[in-house]
Amino acid sequence: MDNKECIITVELGTNGVRVMAFSLTGEVIASMKGSYPTFHTEPDYSEQDPEQIFITMLYVLKNLLTERVHPKHYHVVSMCFSASMHSVLPIDRNGEPLGNVITWADNRGKKEALDLKNSSLGKKIYDATGTPIHPMSPLIKIAWMSRNDNERFANTKKFLSIKSYILQQLTGEYVQDYSLASATGLLNIHKRSWEPDALSFAGIKEDALPDVIPVFASPGKLRKEYQKSLGLPANLRILIGSSDGCLATLGGGVWEEGKATITIEDSGAMRTVGKVVIRDEKQRFFNYLLTKNYYISGGPTNNGGVVFEWFTKQFGDFKGPFDMDHAMENFMREAASVSAGSEGLIFLPYLLGERAPIWNANARGSYFGINIKHEKQHFVRATIEGILYEVYSIGRTLGEHRKIDALTVNGSFASLPLFAQMIADIFNKPVNTGTNPDSIARGAYLLSAIDLGIYKNIDDAARSIDLPVSFKPQLHNHVAYQKYFPIFDRLSSKLYDEFEAIANLQHEQYLNIGS
Amino acid sequence: MNQFALQQGHSRELDMFSHIVEFTLAKNNTIHLESFPVTTSENFQIYYVIDGKFEWIINQKHYVLYPGDLAIILPGQELGGSNRYLDIGTFIKLEFKVAMLDSANGINLGDWSNLTESERITVGRILLINNMSVLKTKEAGDVLYEMRSEVLNQEIGYLTRVNVLLDTLLIIIARQSTRQANSRRDFPGTFALLEQALRKNLAHQWTVEEMAAHVGLGTTAFTEKVKTYTGFSPLNYLINIRISESIKLLKKADINVTQIALETGFYSSQHFSTTFKKLTGYTPGDFRKRNTPTKSS
Repeated sequence: MDNKECIITVELGTNGVRVMAFSLTGEVIASMKGSYPTFHTEPDYSEQDPEQIFITMLYVLKNLLTERVHPKHYHVVSMCFSASMHSVLPIDRNGEPLGNVITWADNRGKKEALDLKNSSLGKKIYDATGTPIHPMSPLIKIAWMSRNDNERFANTKKFLSIKSYILQQLTGEYVQDYSLASATGLLNIHKRSWEPDALSFAGIKEDALPDVIPVFASPGKLRKEYQKSLGLPANLRILIGSSDGCLATLGGGVWEEGKATITIEDSGAMRTVGKVVIRDEKQRFFNYLLTKNYYISGGPTNNGGVVFEWFTKQFGDFKGPFDMDHAMENFMREAASVSAGSEGLIFLPYLLGERAPIWNANARGSYFGINIKHEKQHFVRATIEGILYEVYSIGRTLGEHRKIDALTVNGSFASLPLFAQMIADIFNKPVNTGTNPDSIARGAYLLSAIDLGIYKNIDDAARSIDLPVSFKPQLHNHVAYQKYFPIFDRLSSKLYDEFEAIANLQHEQYLNIGS
Repeated sequence: MNQFALQQGHSRELDMFSHIVEFTLAKNNTIHLESFPVTTSENFQIYYVIDGKFEWIINQKHYVLYPGDLAIILPGQELGGSNRYLDIGTFIKLEFKVAMLDSANGINLGDWSNLTESERITVGRILLINNMSVLKTKEAGDVLYEMRSEVLNQEIGYLTRVNVLLDTLLIIIARQSTRQANSRRDFPGTFALLEQALRKNLAHQWTVEEMAAHVGLGTTAFTEKVKTYTGFSPLNYLINIRISESIKLLKKADINVTQIALETGFYSSQHFSTTFKKLTGYTPGDFRKRNTPTKSS
């Protein structure tokens, strides 16, 4: 039949872009992805090429439209954007990028972050902005630039996010949504306006930032040239959308009291939704705005699937070159053969330092409690348990502020059956796995659908997500984990001095090799 | 294994192989001071260690070689003992002439070789870019033993087989050096290195075969890996990089469109223009106009 309508979602992620097409009722019509590289030109640096991101996005969008959407006679009515948080792209007065976009994983502002965090100003800024004082946040990145890269800082007209840049290319306007803006560390999330203390710490004025608009607002019409080259209608509604974290929560259907979502991809996070901000004395949690009524609060971990991948690369059996999947499957079978708690082998997963809840960039990994009976499969299981204990320790501290009765998992690692069951056992809570793994795109689809009047409001939209309970906690396993977790927890804080000492030595070693 | 020493001009066995300068199996039982000072090699030299331990300087770096190691010295690189003498042990040495070796044109071996043009280019580039002086490969040893019996026994067909074995040896060296340069477990890491190489030499007309060889995979496996990892075929991924770079250049006023096309690896400004328009909706000229500094945003 002709004249079927559809919604397109564009997800600008850390490693690549995913474009999906949904029917108005939410069935997936098509999905395509394209990836772009991250450059690490110096230790702690993590950058991407904004033009390559733009071209990759256009290319994937065009392929999806011409190969999968137009041939089926779908008419695109709405397009909604999502992006990773915390990116910074300085542009000059001609709108030209000054260098690459700096990603969330960039740690060049370590020193600035540490200084601010330990000051009373830092506490005040955290209370106002809800974003932990950390090198990931644009507040720190801009502050770093103002102190260490004067020329670039002086030539910068505006500090954009990657999404602002892409949308400007497509529509001509410099805008930012409240949701991504609330992750910059510069926005007062209570008043929803730029926070003067944060601006002055960063060394900028309001006009150096794009205009902030609600997630349902449109940055404008698609430029004519793109309408033509992409075959999209002039009246296409473009929604600015939100951030990956907020949309994953919405798309995961976690919208009621008592629920939390655990996402584990390379990194991981545990998030809850609420109408009030979590105020944490120790500054352990983030609070990001989705709309003015809803805050997504939680904690991120650096060490998710990336740690299991590291383990597999080092110790797995590879059938052919680069055959990671096969090696991982074998490991999961081996892990399942060992009882909960790995017979007393404990793993601290801090290969990349850690954010929540210990917020210690010097933290490093460790196997503890090895005895003569431990075999390879114990190490495999302990590695997975260590990653999940870390998520559990975020959950436990989050539980001091929010009631959590049930969990939803998503992301390529957390939704693996072995991982999901272990999460249920460690938390002793039922775990739902969404029927659809692309929760970020699903969240973006829901924003468009609400905007089109298909759902009355966010609560209504979130309720449309079907969440079967798939994993029930097994008490005997929970009891075993409860015996080992306190040791994990104590080691994570007890080793503070040793973490620092070894991190310093490793840094020196790095400098020696470099010179 | 018996010793043998064949030298061009002195050994009848090499008369039919004018490109082979020396082919010997040497057993060294005593140390003679100053027997092996560092000198620059004119030709392509290969040493395969059978026995003993050798400490050598190759291309200004110090190496310790053990049995099963293959040392490769490219024309123009230096070779000699770390202590200026030859250590005790046994090795096979093969030295042959190479007409040309550079990163744009690859390796030119001469009429005796059966490598195709694209193989020559790829093998040459791999040798120069990876620049691995020492490889671990027993396979190369087997080929050298086979070559020895062909040269010494001169059975029917030996003229062809010796040259085929020499080609084989170069292929083994190229393959092994990409394998040793890349972790076969870390595709993202390996792909990042390839991406760097592509960006460094964007004007070059990369073929899929060349890119695959860089990573140490066959073209089919390579194409499949790249497709899964990036979402694009290797050539389309390359177009992404080319267009992204050209956008940056278009925003600079002082370089003309034809020059940009060639610098970013398009065959012509026409090819650049069509590809650019197809992807961005703008011709390069219009895109430049839209982004010139005078426009207010």
